[in-house]
Amino acid sequence: MNAKITRYFTAVWGLMKAYIRRLFRDKVALFFTFLFPVLFLFVFGSINRGSGDISFTVAVINNSDSSFSQQFIGELEKNETFKIKEDVTTLDDARERMGRGEIDTIIEAPEGFGEENAQGVPAGKLNVYYEEASPQGGQTIAAVLQGTLDGINKQFGQPDAPLSVEQKSTATENLSSFDYIFSGLLGFTILSLGIFGLANAMPAEKKTGAFRRLRAAPIGASQLVLANAGAYLVSGLLSLVLMFVVATQMFDFTMRGDYLTLLVFIIFSIFVMFGFGLAIGGWAKNENQSAPLTNVVALPLMFLSGVFFPRFLFPEWLQGITGYLPLTPIVDGIRYITTEGARLIDLGPQLLILLIWGVVIYIIAFKFFRWE
Amino acid sequence: MAKKAAQNIVVVEGLTKRYGDKTTVNGISFEVAEGEVFGILGPNGAGKTTTLEMIEALRPIDGGKVTLDGFDVAKHPMAVKEIIGIQLQSTAFFDKLSLREQLEMFSGLYGETAHPDELLEEVQLTEKAKSYVENLSGGQRQRFSIAAALVNKPRVLFLDEPTTGLDPQARRNLWELVQQIKKKGITVILTTHYMEEAELLCDRVAIMDRGEIIAIDTPQNLVKQLLARGFKKTQHVEQADLEDVFIDLTGKELRE
Repeated sequence: MNAKITRYFTAVWGLMKAYIRRLFRDKVALFFTFLFPVLFLFVFGSINRGSGDISFTVAVINNSDSSFSQQFIGELEKNETFKIKEDVTTLDDARERMGRGEIDTIIEAPEGFGEENAQGVPAGKLNVYYEEASPQGGQTIAAVLQGTLDGINKQFGQPDAPLSVEQKSTATENLSSFDYIFSGLLGFTILSLGIFGLANAMPAEKKTGAFRRLRAAPIGASQLVLANAGAYLVSGLLSLVLMFVVATQMFDFTMRGDYLTLLVFIIFSIFVMFGFGLAIGGWAKNENQSAPLTNVVALPLMFLSGVFFPRFLFPEWLQGITGYLPLTPIVDGIRYITTEGARLIDLGPQLLILLIWGVVIYIIAFKFFRWE
Repeated sequence: MAKKAAQNIVVVEGLTKRYGDKTTVNGISFEVAEGEVFGILGPNGAGKTTTLEMIEALRPIDGGKVTLDGFDVAKHPMAVKEIIGIQLQSTAFFDKLSLREQLEMFSGLYGETAHPDELLEEVQLTEKAKSYVENLSGGQRQRFSIAAALVNKPRVLFLDEPTTGLDPQARRNLWELVQQIKKKGITVILTTHYMEEAELLCDRVAIMDRGEIIAIDTPQNLVKQLLARGFKKTQHVEQADLEDVFIDLTGKELRE
């Protein structure tokens, strides 16, 4: 029995070595495996360097019972200058989301805000929290609110301005927006190597007859698949390491999590994504069949899984659906590890979604695999 | 005829292949003795390649049975693949892999330690050990293809039109290689549509047409039978032909 297993893996290892050698001799493959992801990193990294975008996405928290506060906050929520995140109700929740970059400003009406003072007019301080690293949004909003409150103060004829705004700059996690999008870029690399690479290579090898020749030897499809997976894992990991080096050196990327956790998570992710490439490449007889199918699978993942656009920009219903796409847990999981130091136990939901996709896609892949 | 006494390593009985309502191979039967060079002759589309691929466990068998060294091919394809070597018609190998690396890879598939240099020497490709297959000439490619088919020291070697498209020098060179392989006791089953090739290499030939075997015997016997039927060549047989002239003028040296 042992001899059988040894033999099985001797064949896998031999094939895997052959695949890796070929990859490193193929200029086009080298470009798409190593240079392209890094170029991509430069393009997106430069756009998102530092504290670029101001989206005026705010959370409004009302902790005051005063009728003035109720009314004022009510008006604020109808305002269309800000994009208000509706489902945030507590300050802690809001701060956490600000840390993730989902919102960039929190407006809080603290307890007692708007209650009448000794002169019988509403008084109090409105708190505006913003990210220390990206103060523009918060400061603008604070200025706008101060203007509004001054108007109210004047109406009550109070020169000493009982209503005011207090700006509170917080260093939540001090994430740069690059830290945030980096997980998306890593996810994109995993997607493109896993799907595009294999889905094109396998039909090409069927067409040239290289698979037929392999099949003349006593090997099974599972050995061929394992060899491919191994080769892809090696090249994929090298490519991701390169991206990490560039990100750390050029874009001040700060890793908050554990590298071993990340490695385990990424290996798992690569295997799942590889399943999609395998299913397409294993089924397709030629590139004419694989190319459109690849796009049908990869494009939605690219745009809906938070690779290019953060998912929180989507309408709620779309956020819900896209959460179950196979690339979403990969992007989210990597981000939780790199930005929040999440451990594998914290990533239960992500791992579960990935596991389900993995099982489904490998069953499909083996069922529809064709040697020629 | 000592050969007759030898055990039949390949036994084909009523082998059939259908594609839709078209029958490409129609219930053919034959045996091949161990150590024999057996030729399957026939025009294009006669069903030669399909027949080979069914025996090689590369194509599902629709009817009949093939036994190879006692193994039923349909039931034990992996056991059969262990003891056969296959040179496919228009074989493609992986690109960007040197000949030595290819042979190492193929040895690995059989769980064997590779001896790529010995194999390359056997097919006169020692100097090409570091070249890629895509940079080989047609003859070199066919010889390499045979080297790759020999990695597992097969008992039966299948050659599908090994000399098609080769120049006369390369063809003669390949014939010598087949004769060498035969000397080692390896059974060879080959397809061809060159009669002189069959006459020179094969101990016995089967002539196939439209999916059926229409004659099977030694080349000499087939010729005798034809003559016995009263056949006479219309043209007088020359002592030499144009190919002899060509080889005489250009030499037997390989051009690659």
